[in-house]
Amino acid sequence: MQNAILEQLPTLHIALDRPIEGRSEQLYRVDDPSCLELKLAADARLKLLVVRSQAATSRVQIELGERAELVLAELFVADAETTVEVQQGAESRLQLTSLQLGGGVGRYVVNLMGAYAESRVNGLFALGGAERSSLTIRTNHQVADCRSYSEVRGLAGGEAVGRFDGMVYVAPDAQRTDAFQQNRNMLLSEKARIDTKPQLEIYADDVKCSHGATVGQMDQEAIYYLRQRGLDEQQARRLQLTGFADDLVMRCGCEEMCAALLEALNAKLNRI
Amino acid sequence: MLKVTNLHATVDGKEILRGINLEVKSGEVHAIMGPNGSGKSTLASVLAGNEKFEVTEGSVEFEGEDLLDLSIEDRARKGLFLGFQYPVEIPGVTMANFMKLAVNEQRKFRGEEPLTAAEYLKMMREKAKIVELDTKMTSRAVNEGFSGGEKKKNEIFQMAMLDPKLAILDETDSGLDIDALRIVATGVTKLHTEQNATVVITHYQRLLDYIVPDYVHVLYKGRIIHTGDKSLALKLEKEGYDWLINEQQ
Repeated sequence: MQNAILEQLPTLHIALDRPIEGRSEQLYRVDDPSCLELKLAADARLKLLVVRSQAATSRVQIELGERAELVLAELFVADAETTVEVQQGAESRLQLTSLQLGGGVGRYVVNLMGAYAESRVNGLFALGGAERSSLTIRTNHQVADCRSYSEVRGLAGGEAVGRFDGMVYVAPDAQRTDAFQQNRNMLLSEKARIDTKPQLEIYADDVKCSHGATVGQMDQEAIYYLRQRGLDEQQARRLQLTGFADDLVMRCGCEEMCAALLEALNAKLNRI
Repeated sequence: MLKVTNLHATVDGKEILRGINLEVKSGEVHAIMGPNGSGKSTLASVLAGNEKFEVTEGSVEFEGEDLLDLSIEDRARKGLFLGFQYPVEIPGVTMANFMKLAVNEQRKFRGEEPLTAAEYLKMMREKAKIVELDTKMTSRAVNEGFSGGEKKKNEIFQMAMLDPKLAILDETDSGLDIDALRIVATGVTKLHTEQNATVVITHYQRLLDYIVPDYVHVLYKGRIIHTGDKSLALKLEKEGYDWLINEQQ
């Protein structure tokens, strides 16, 4: 994979025996870690891009101390399998983007363990050929006053199969939870398939939770409209795909990270 | 500029256009009126190349070329513009990006260099003024969340950007309040020159107070059954279509 922005990013070296301290604006990258443990001390801040270019299995464990902030993206360019577990302390913030461009399995489990913690976990898969992707996002609201937002979008062409499993769990004591989960999908061919299963499991009574899922096709009216303005059919289709996918990636929380992810996404969209 | 001869078209096997004859010359404004279901929007769609419709008979010449042979986009690039009755929303695609692509596609087709970012911005600001469009709108997604009036202004803004030879405006006045109607109609008038032509499809005479037509055609059951000057629109507004339809029978 050629990606000018990615290639310039410094690799993150982590000392296993102590947590990451301090606030850093530097974006780091890590390539194909089979096992990764990240601990952010209270008030620490880190921006990290994990690249999955090997079809391997891996496990990531993350702990965010109080008020810690993590901006994390996982970029799948190979059919990798990862499980990411996050424990969030009070007032910590997580912004996680999972971008699957070559199939893969991504499981994300976020435990909101301290009050006023906030998690934003977004995912996108763009698949062609016979690729398969599965994205699972489970958010556990264990305590009161936390917020979680999760948006997943799926694009599948060829004979690709995509799958989304979403679960927002709200424990009995997790009052005043604010949770939102949305999944939108677009099928680009007759043979492509996307299964979606968004779920809520709520045991507290004072909560604000919503979820939804849609599976649709490309809008033929929009293609006609764009062609009437002089774009050819391929440009019209491409523009619609870009419109569907880009803004989710643009919200990854770090400009440089967004640029790297968008470059990878664009290259993939050209091939679907 | 445009010559439609004995045009027949069907949708799902049902004949909607049954022999349209129409000639539009440079500098002219034509109005097409007629009761609901008479085929007005179908005519606009067929001219634009909408693939839902099948042309079964007749011919259309545009600038000396066989229009029906051209793809939707080539018709557009040659200067045919359709103002949509229901402009389509395109989530996630900004107006500015969309128009930049469209303008540069047209320039490429004419063998011109693409506009620089500065040239494009300048052009966008100038053209937005024509329809009193806030340039902030251009950073929003195409038609998404636009009001009825904003959508129609946005159609005329696109027309201004693309500077077509022939603009076909399909019920551009529908869903507009009086102020928006004035802005949209005045915008169209500003864009009119001796080198281009406009065909407005409308139900209401009030649009024609602003856009004064040289010819008013009445379409009924897929044929033009009567052609007159601007006074015909006033007569139709007062008396309806019955007198013309009765003449037919």
